[in-house]
Amino acid sequence: MSASQQALPALRFPIISLNNGLQPLLARIEEPLINFALALILPLSILSLWFVATKEVWLPPQILPEPTFVWETLLDTLQSGELLTHVWASFQRVILSLLIGGAIGLSIGFAMGLSNTAKTYLYPSFSLFAQFPVIGWAPLMIIFFGIDEAMKIATITVAVIVPFAIATYKGMENVPSKLLEVGRIYKFSFWQTLRHIALPAALPAVLGGVRQGGMQAWLALVFVEIMASSEGLGYFLSYSRNLMQLDVVMVCMLAIGAVGLLFDVGLTRLEQHFSHWIPKGF
Amino acid sequence: MAHAGTLQLNNVNKHYTVKGQTLKVLEDVSLSIQPGEFVSIVGSSGCGKSTLLRLIVGLEAGYEGEILLDGNPISGTSLDRGIVFQEHRLFPWLTVEQNIGLALENSTLSEVEKKRSIQEHIELVGLKGFEKAHPYQLSGGMSQRVAIARGLVNRPEVLLLDEPFGALDAMTKYKLQNELQHIWQTEGITMILVTHDVEEAVYLGDRVIIMEPRPGRIKREVAVNLPRPRNRSDIEFVCLKDNILSAFGFLHKPEFTTELASV
Amino acid sequence: MASDAFTRLRTTDFRGWVLPLLLLVSWEYTTALQWVDTRIIPSPLLVLETAWQWLISGQLVASLISSLWRDIAGFSLGSLIGISVGLALGISKVTNRIAGPTFHTLKHISLFAWIPLLTAFFGREDLAKVVFITFSTLYPVALGTLEGVRGIPLSQLEVARVYGFNSRQTLFRLVLPAASPQILSGLHLGLIYAWLATIGGEFLMPSVGEGIGFTVIRGRASFHIEQIIFGMLIIGGIGYLFNHLATRLETRLLHWRGRPS
Repeated sequence: MSASQQALPALRFPIISLNNGLQPLLARIEEPLINFALALILPLSILSLWFVATKEVWLPPQILPEPTFVWETLLDTLQSGELLTHVWASFQRVILSLLIGGAIGLSIGFAMGLSNTAKTYLYPSFSLFAQFPVIGWAPLMIIFFGIDEAMKIATITVAVIVPFAIATYKGMENVPSKLLEVGRIYKFSFWQTLRHIALPAALPAVLGGVRQGGMQAWLALVFVEIMASSEGLGYFLSYSRNLMQLDVVMVCMLAIGAVGLLFDVGLTRLEQHFSHWIPKGF
Repeated sequence: MAHAGTLQLNNVNKHYTVKGQTLKVLEDVSLSIQPGEFVSIVGSSGCGKSTLLRLIVGLEAGYEGEILLDGNPISGTSLDRGIVFQEHRLFPWLTVEQNIGLALENSTLSEVEKKRSIQEHIELVGLKGFEKAHPYQLSGGMSQRVAIARGLVNRPEVLLLDEPFGALDAMTKYKLQNELQHIWQTEGITMILVTHDVEEAVYLGDRVIIMEPRPGRIKREVAVNLPRPRNRSDIEFVCLKDNILSAFGFLHKPEFTTELASV
Repeated sequence: MASDAFTRLRTTDFRGWVLPLLLLVSWEYTTALQWVDTRIIPSPLLVLETAWQWLISGQLVASLISSLWRDIAGFSLGSLIGISVGLALGISKVTNRIAGPTFHTLKHISLFAWIPLLTAFFGREDLAKVVFITFSTLYPVALGTLEGVRGIPLSQLEVARVYGFNSRQTLFRLVLPAASPQILSGLHLGLIYAWLATIGGEFLMPSVGEGIGFTVIRGRASFHIEQIIFGMLIIGGIGYLFNHLATRLETRLLHWRGRPS
């Protein structure tokens, strides 16, 4: 019996006679349904609290808008295309930065992982660079690039480089030497070793780095757009806040969360697809 | 000497329900174990021997029938019934001393007495000098010895051993079997050993209980009336071993169904 | 012993210093020769001089202390809450089913996106900043704790049952130590995020007051690049220090794991 089956008693379906085929099927969907119902308790409670709070006006409506109002705003901004314009602007920035930063990060990571010389020269500097909070670069970037597109891309790219490089480097380092020895027995050339052993073995770690990079990129993006931008979700968020349009603020947060979620899910799927051969602990 | 307990199992039945299907794991198991006895239980996988042990120690319940210790029905886990698992299950962040001390966490002894008992048992299992070592510094055999010391330190009435030497290499296994026997003779508590190694069962037990699977039940018992320490190449020893092995159909001979008279 | 230090010095690989030294030298060279606009890229000596002025005027210490106390306050609070949340979600299946999905969904709203809402509720002063830092620390710590608790093998839980541990004993003698590697890892990450949130918070929630982040912002506003650069150096330095301390602490506390093979 699974642990979760022991934790909750099974519901009794009010159907008198069930043949053997139907019973296991119902048993299978029973559990996910219960989980779903439980998961809704907290959000629904918060929602109800929110309704009551606005009804009783515990806080001024400029600070806490009514939930229905937020919903309407959501529909409004979607229909007018305003929201999607900003989403698209942000999305483009992230993708571009991921590509550039990814390329740079992967190169650095590979260099450090493959060549001991490269590692010796690069690692200390890189390690220092990696420990510097990404957002710290922003003011300097503004000075160098102004507040146009280049600055934003540059800052987000910096945020992306670090996870990519570290994950790639670690991935290459952790290729089991036992497997490399097998390559030596069969007289693999450098490129053969790379292609047949090192890259496949390091791939899951690299993809993990891609996922991390995506997360960092999104983090940096929002920051950069709040600080210095004229379009994009972060800008929209900050601008609405300055106009005390908290309903739009909430819609933006929702959009940011949604896109972040999509990114994460997508990249996790990618990672899992290429890691299916790894024996799972549990 | 610790106080040894009498263990009585009466018509113990256990089944699991998986996806609406009933799986009978133990059927009508009855057993009477005398204080200070060493009983070996052998059986192939799936005969329920481990489940039986877990029921006795209290890690599982939901059975029909009775399990009595000194005439009282058992309920849940208790410091009266100790267990040594197949994996040592030591806590990696504690030293040898502290790991053994875990068993005394809920005992009523004074600090001084606890310290003394721990030290005694470290010496009993031959690990003097390793008190402050961490599990990662110990070999498999040494870790298992710590587990045995932990099982004994709170002086349980019954010690259950669930394939304790299964994960060890042959030489360490022989060594620990000898040590276990010596400990049993010194401490005098009741011990129940579950194993799939027939030779081990005969070497250590006063009697060997043979279980068969699907559903798990007792097939028969074989008494081992040989003096200790036993000699594995002794003709009587080998005959007893054959006797038991024949129950599993591993010998190309018909099964013995009667006990051999001692020569 | 002097000979130990000497051996260590001799065997240190100095090639790692080549790149940074090269950068430093070229920086000084290009500004000295005026190859770049020194209003945009000041010479490193100017940066040092500004730093020195700041130090002796006491301003450096003041802003550092301001930023640090907010950081530590937020980090401590966030860690406490984070560990509690992680424990609750990891130990109780019911709690996990009720609160888990909400917790993991909210995680996806990028950290800085909370700031506008935060300023509406809490203003822009110290309170808002500490709340933000607390929130940033919470998630990594909670996730680390959750992972640690989830990873406790059933076999160890059974040992606790056999020896009659009550809930308190199980929590303090088994759960917390067993999960400590991941909890410490989460705390380490939380420390990094806390510092990030401290500085980011000062950037995005400018107010009257002291702080390293404010130094940088004001430097940008007044076009004193050397202020920006030296502010960045301090930020980086603190970040490095935190990281270093955290790693050392982790290694000390987790000595019982032995050396990885």
